[in-house]
Amino acid sequence: MSFLADSLEHLVRGIVDNPDDVRVELVTTRRGRTLEIHVNPEDLGKVIGRGGRTATALRTVMAGIGGRGVRVDVVDTDH
Amino acid sequence: MSDTLQAPQDSEAQESQVDETTANTDADATEDDESEHESLLVREGDVAGDYLERLLDLLDYDGDIDLDVEAGRAVVSIDGGEDLEKLVGPRGNALEALQELTRLAVQQETGQRSRLMLDIAGWRADRRQELSDLGTATAQKVASSGEKARMQPMTPFERKIVHDAVAAVKGVYSESEGEEPKRFVVVFPE
Repeated sequence: MSFLADSLEHLVRGIVDNPDDVRVELVTTRRGRTLEIHVNPEDLGKVIGRGGRTATALRTVMAGIGGRGVRVDVVDTDH
Repeated sequence: MSDTLQAPQDSEAQESQVDETTANTDADATEDDESEHESLLVREGDVAGDYLERLLDLLDYDGDIDLDVEAGRAVVSIDGGEDLEKLVGPRGNALEALQELTRLAVQQETGQRSRLMLDIAGWRADRRQELSDLGTATAQKVASSGEKARMQPMTPFERKIVHDAVAAVKGVYSESEGEEPKRFVVVFPE
């Protein structure tokens, strides 16, 4: 499954100002598996996109490469 | 045939002779703009190629990436193993999404919006033929029945191909109606 996290991390790194701050984690909860995208707060807008367009594109690509049933979330936290 | 063609050519030649200096300066400026634009498109292709090649590596998919410039835009084509179908997705939705992300990655590097076109496993080429045939068939039906026809919702890329096919048939015209992503082509009798 790590290829999903690695691919997603790569796709996100290419479209943000702070690629070194990008981290994708595969977490398992009772509701299923989720790929959590962590980015620099400055880059949140870029990863979500206008009207959520970019986040949707990331989900669509992940669904295509075998992540169907895996949620993709952009985590909105300052940690 | 050659007579009618020659007349405008001559008058153009005369015009440029009248004001040779200005004409030359303009031509040089245009050339510079063009080569600048061309090199931006080449750079777009390079950035996109790196972005996609790394993705294929991480996924362990076989694929050859081909870079080109066509009709004023960078074109990136990936061809190779069966795995690539996954990057096309149902009705090409993964392909459209990956094109969107690739454009953003290019914009991130160049600072300019990209109109780059991505094709995977020849999907766009195949779809183009299919849609063109569908557009022609629909236009012919409308021309003979005199009744307008609504087509399925399509992406801008798909609608453009249908409009072009309809335009080649006499006695009909087409328009797009509805809102994205459910915008669709309607073919009308003239």
